[in-house]
Amino acid sequence: MKRRIPLLIVLITGIFGAVAFFVPNPVIRSADETMRNDVQRIIAAFSLVLGVGSIVQHHLLKIKRKAQFWPYSYITIIALAITAVIGVFGGIDVSRPGLLPTRIGSFSFHIQTIYSNMMVPLAATMFSLLAFFMSSAAYRAFRARNLEATLLLLAAFILMLGAVPLGRMIHKQLPAFAEWILAVPNTASKRGILFGVELGVFATSLKIILGIERGWLGGGK
Amino acid sequence: MSTERENILIRLQKIDRRWIYLVLWLVVMFPLIFPFKIKPKPTPPVEQLFNYIDTMPENKALAISVDFTPDTRAELQPMVVALLRHAFAIRRRVGILAISVYGLGLGEEAIQQVTGEFNAHARTHEDSVIYGEDYVFWGWTTPILTVMLGMGERITNVFPVDYYGNRTESLPIMKEIKNYDDIGILITVAASAIPRSWINYAQVQFGVNLSCGITAVSAADFYPYVNSGQFIGMLAGMKGAAEYEQLVRQRMEKNGMEWALRNRGTEAMSSQTAAHLAIMAFIVLGNIAYFATRRKRK
Repeated sequence: MKRRIPLLIVLITGIFGAVAFFVPNPVIRSADETMRNDVQRIIAAFSLVLGVGSIVQHHLLKIKRKAQFWPYSYITIIALAITAVIGVFGGIDVSRPGLLPTRIGSFSFHIQTIYSNMMVPLAATMFSLLAFFMSSAAYRAFRARNLEATLLLLAAFILMLGAVPLGRMIHKQLPAFAEWILAVPNTASKRGILFGVELGVFATSLKIILGIERGWLGGGK
Repeated sequence: MSTERENILIRLQKIDRRWIYLVLWLVVMFPLIFPFKIKPKPTPPVEQLFNYIDTMPENKALAISVDFTPDTRAELQPMVVALLRHAFAIRRRVGILAISVYGLGLGEEAIQQVTGEFNAHARTHEDSVIYGEDYVFWGWTTPILTVMLGMGERITNVFPVDYYGNRTESLPIMKEIKNYDDIGILITVAASAIPRSWINYAQVQFGVNLSCGITAVSAADFYPYVNSGQFIGMLAGMKGAAEYEQLVRQRMEKNGMEWALRNRGTEAMSSQTAAHLAIMAFIVLGNIAYFATRRKRK
């Protein structure tokens, strides 16, 4: 029963979702709209509660067991609590204050201030590390070992030069050639890959709706 | 002499990666501090998008979906800013939304910046850019299917309140933008596969015109959709942003708006050019060292 009910829900909602996409009947459309605007949002709200509960539980357990790097769990929980309280009660920015006094003199800590001054630099720092890893990898691993690798290397060179104004200085047609590589050979190969991926997605979706693929239920079988 | 040269090549092969990091850091930083002027020439996908927005009927609005996260802000935020400037310069209504919750802060940043620029130069009420009349920030809601399909029926049902807590029904702009029929083009600025979902749900079902602004690394994934006409042009990476900024600057100057605004995408091009050259030099150097030492090993 524990497995049959979820499987039945997936079967009914899966078939209904697919049918509603193609059938313009007003009754079906109206039911579909209710499903999307109300039911899905309620489920999403529950998943938010589940997500917050899960992260808090995970970190409290880490603190309790003094697991590896447990002091960082305090930072996660404190950051989560402060951001949530300011986000809900603190207002968006100086011009749109909330219920909480989120301003001390000229210093404000509204949600937009926290976002722009903490979230943005932290995320940008993490992402910018990629450039350093890429350059190191390019130096160590990007070798013209065989014909395929040489072709890849040449294409990468043309695209990199075409992507910066220097390419035009080297040859007027270089950016156009880079554009051609992306628009013709790249598109041809990408389309092939996309067809394969979409057919795979379709087959997997069908297997889940019909209950053949049950991995999502947990337990692996 | 020959042995000495081989030793250098062997050492080059085993160079500490921190030296590579240092060189790249210098190469990126130096042009940011002392920029050299670069004016990118617009490529066809960028021109296509610009021309479409520029000639869009007056009663059609521009919708921008801020679907990226702060990590790709440097590359994608200049696109949102340039698109907003373009829409306001030609007096088209704008609706902004976010599919990712992270996009809210980025959307707000861009709105504050561009409306501030326009309102600082406004002489009359008509010149000003007014919230609820000229633009609206719908905000964020979940799940994405609800947004993409629901906006085709009635936008106020999907976003009953805007980002600032106003009832969307009460905003004058929402009398003009009811659903996708009133949107001339929706541009999704993203660093993920979200633009594909916009095609699958919004375009296939409702036929809304779409375009996208994406990171340079994702550009290859979206060219098939540009070629098929599913996306009207595309802005790819910092270069795409810089090219669009140039076109918008020219349009604004033509409209008498010579305001000397900062164009972050164009400013960063010198740094990106230097970084590309450095990476190419690394590849060449790495290959020279590899082939020289391989010959020796044989």
